[in-house]
Amino acid sequence: MTDETTWIIQAQQGDEDAFTLLVETYQKPVFNLCYRMLGEPEAAEDASQETFLKVYQNLARYDRERPFATWLLSIAAHHCIDRLRRKRFSSISIDEDEEGQMDIPDRFAPDPESEMLKQQQGEKLHHCLQSLDPIDRAAVVLRYWQDCSELEIAQTLKLTVPAVKSRLHRARLALAGLWDEQPAHLRTERKPYGSPAF
Amino acid sequence: MDHRPFEDWLHDNPTLSTDQKRQLNAHLRTCTSCTALAEVKLALETVSLAAPAAGFTDRFTVRLAARKKALKRRNFWGFVILALSVLGLLGLISWPVLKDLIQSPVNLLASWFASLASFFTSFQAIFRAGMVLFKVVPGFIPTYIWLVVLFAAGGWSLMWVVSLMKFTKIPQGV
Repeated sequence: MTDETTWIIQAQQGDEDAFTLLVETYQKPVFNLCYRMLGEPEAAEDASQETFLKVYQNLARYDRERPFATWLLSIAAHHCIDRLRRKRFSSISIDEDEEGQMDIPDRFAPDPESEMLKQQQGEKLHHCLQSLDPIDRAAVVLRYWQDCSELEIAQTLKLTVPAVKSRLHRARLALAGLWDEQPAHLRTERKPYGSPAF
Repeated sequence: MDHRPFEDWLHDNPTLSTDQKRQLNAHLRTCTSCTALAEVKLALETVSLAAPAAGFTDRFTVRLAARKKALKRRNFWGFVILALSVLGLLGLISWPVLKDLIQSPVNLLASWFASLASFFTSFQAIFRAGMVLFKVVPGFIPTYIWLVVLFAAGGWSLMWVVSLMKFTKIPQGV
């Protein structure tokens, strides 16, 4: 039995310390998902805290046959999607506050120039992401930030695998369209590598 | 401009031959939309996780404690409101009796005692008549009638038990 399973069983039996260990382990992926979905660090903090509260309240219903991370991220993604829908209904615009952006830590910082370029690209991508449909955005974040497979994304977002493929395809095209519209200072120089994918 | 097969290559990540890579490079030099797609792919594949500010778990513990306290308070007030509602409803239903009890308690209690005494007297009379019949009637009925009645009662009971078992069979594992 893994540590995680032990913590889950203990937390299901009401052990708050065991649940705290789960929060400690999963705080980063949950926060990252919320941050990419909502675009603002304050909103992401609140959404991730609420996600963990929901998980705590519904832990008895968790099926141990299913991966815990998928279940947790599913709750976080749906919480963010609901929040975005409510926000849209109450006509509050998502204004980007540059100063309010989180520092995105990077353990591998080879040189300041490439680090700055990477950060610029990250910011630009973050801006573009906010224009996507919430479910497409969740699919992209799960695919590229959380390294989820298409099957895991389908389970998390309650979609079919072909629907996930189609959403990812559509989202990449939309992002490419938005990429060109970004200000020049955020554009990146493409290195003569061929394609980035190879 | 025709983006095929370059767009598919960028989406699907197949292993390309040297010649295909050269073709893709040549296309990317002239096509802005495919270049944007390639840049997006590069950006997506080199993303890093955003981390919450330090002390996230401590903030969660504080929030959890506050939420539990709020839930406890809500449950308490919920119980109080429910109890008051039930009491109010009971008061409303029993208001005609309560009104009499408040206005003339002696009369109401006297009428209750009178009803109780009359019920008791009636019950006693019926019981006595029953005992008399129980002693007298068996003498008039022949023994074979008793046997028929006994067998009929037994048969009816058996049928009742069998039908009950048949119709109330509960499926297992539910």
